[in-house]
Amino acid sequence: MNGECKGCERSAALHLPEREVQRLLAGYLASHPGERVADDGTYADRLAVCRACPDVQFGGTTCRHCGCLVAVRAKLADKACPSTASRWSLLVG
Amino acid sequence: MNRVVINADLGKQIISRHIYGHFAEHLGRCVYEGLWVGKDSPIPNTRGFRNDVVDALKNLNIPNLRWPGGCFADTYHWMDGIGPYEKRPSMVNIHWGGTTENNHCGTHEFLDLCEQLGSKNHRCEPYIAANVGSGTVKEMAEWLEYITMPGQSPMANLRRRNGRQDPWPLTFWGVGNENWGCGGNMRPQYYADLYRQYQSYCRHFTPNGKLYKVACGLTDEWNEILMRDCARFMDGLSVHYYTVPGDWHKKGSATDFTTDEWKRTLQKAANIEPFIKCTAAIMDRYDPEKRVGIVMDEWGTWFDVEPGTNPGFLYQQNTIRDALVAGVSLNIFNNHADRVQVANIAQMVNVLQAVILTEGGKMLLTPTYHVFEMYKVHQDATLLPSSVDSAVYLPGSPLVGVAGAGGYNRMAEVRQISASASRDSGGAINVTVCNLHEDASAEVEIELRGAAVSTVKGRVLTAAAQNTMNTFEKPDVVKPQAIDATVSKTGITVNLPARAVAALELR
Repeated sequence: MNGECKGCERSAALHLPEREVQRLLAGYLASHPGERVADDGTYADRLAVCRACPDVQFGGTTCRHCGCLVAVRAKLADKACPSTASRWSLLVG
Repeated sequence: MNRVVINADLGKQIISRHIYGHFAEHLGRCVYEGLWVGKDSPIPNTRGFRNDVVDALKNLNIPNLRWPGGCFADTYHWMDGIGPYEKRPSMVNIHWGGTTENNHCGTHEFLDLCEQLGSKNHRCEPYIAANVGSGTVKEMAEWLEYITMPGQSPMANLRRRNGRQDPWPLTFWGVGNENWGCGGNMRPQYYADLYRQYQSYCRHFTPNGKLYKVACGLTDEWNEILMRDCARFMDGLSVHYYTVPGDWHKKGSATDFTTDEWKRTLQKAANIEPFIKCTAAIMDRYDPEKRVGIVMDEWGTWFDVEPGTNPGFLYQQNTIRDALVAGVSLNIFNNHADRVQVANIAQMVNVLQAVILTEGGKMLLTPTYHVFEMYKVHQDATLLPSSVDSAVYLPGSPLVGVAGAGGYNRMAEVRQISASASRDSGGAINVTVCNLHEDASAEVEIELRGAAVSTVKGRVLTAAAQNTMNTFEKPDVVKPQAIDATVSKTGITVNLPARAVAALELR
């Protein structure tokens, strides 16, 4: 490198405010128009599981098993909980 | 017609196996989750390291593994990572998101990982980057005593109390990392003096043990000063080169890119060659016998993170484009083996141009993994000088975005075909050849001078589209396939598909 800052401190903010999470969720959905999204009830149930999960880090934003923002992953109908405990699998619907 | 001429009777230079090294930093999910899951994890593991990942990595004959950083290295205090887990203090990883780590993957665990990555016939050497930016001479000297001292000493006895009787083998030792930036924001004269001081106390305590000491480099002026003032105290000069298609604010997507971005990425990757030549020219002035090596201990693609993942984890997918970057870069390293002695792709698992991605208990091998597997035949083989005559694929052009290395305001002309060749200890000649073109196949004629060939076996890595990748749902989309090559009186002819990395074994 030529001494340029790679932006570690800027880009590596792990603790994201809710507004930023929502911006990233909207950006994801806009750039993946063909992806099936979960219905509102499933989304809420999944997020409730994530909120209680000890493996969700950084203020409840990020799953340590996959690095995903749970607000995004839970929204995607075809995704599963990445933990070996498969915590969403007990949800009905 | 594309033509590769290999001078099989002119081989002298050994391609150091350490060009095929890897890098694991405490960043995102590389060390924690990607490699280390802990002994109590439901994911099958051996003393905390996941078995699936270690088994896959063993197949690459990894020659060395750099740890714990990266930027992390100059914040790491090794004594916090030894002893019973419950007594290890946690630490804040200030460079990578301020996450709190429990220090469970420390010195004993890392050196155990290196041993797990080895085998009866192959050793994975640890490459430790030690703390200059926020550390002390005493701390660094004691770390070496702890690892390498066979007799009685305070640090050797502490090691024994922590469960390890014998010292570990150790070769590579980095005195800081990027000390021009996150490793202390130093000026070159200041770091040069610090390097001389720190390295004076970097002793290998094992009889016949020899440290390969690495000083932090950068680009022109910094490297000039380091070589002028420190060359006789160092074995290697560390330089970094990332391939970023855009700029640091908008690097570009790993998977959703245009043909222009494909081309720009490969041109920037190939621009590592003028960077090596420029660095080597400076080193030649102070070390004409080429004793000191270029240590390219961070290289690879750096894209925007995968959408929907935490930006601080630097998690990116990996396509056939990454495979071409790896293939072209490794060919360049091979061809400059007289000066490039060590290289470490960034990073091993889940971060930047990773060879393995994990998601919970699942794992996939990326296209980059397969390139390292196909190229491992070059490790410690004799480089056979070669030349390539092929069409200009990318003409020289003004720089766009990140330079990749300082001092360059141009991107060099790139040919459609990239190649390197070597002869292994069994006499086989191995040729690795890449077709960079995004949609045109290439017939390649390989002329072998000074040797006869009767058989050829080949494998090729290619993909249906520029952004084809392996996913957790479909993990085997991109993998090597057999490819036919024709042997004739004049040489070997092979028809490479578009966007292809091939390995040919000639006997």
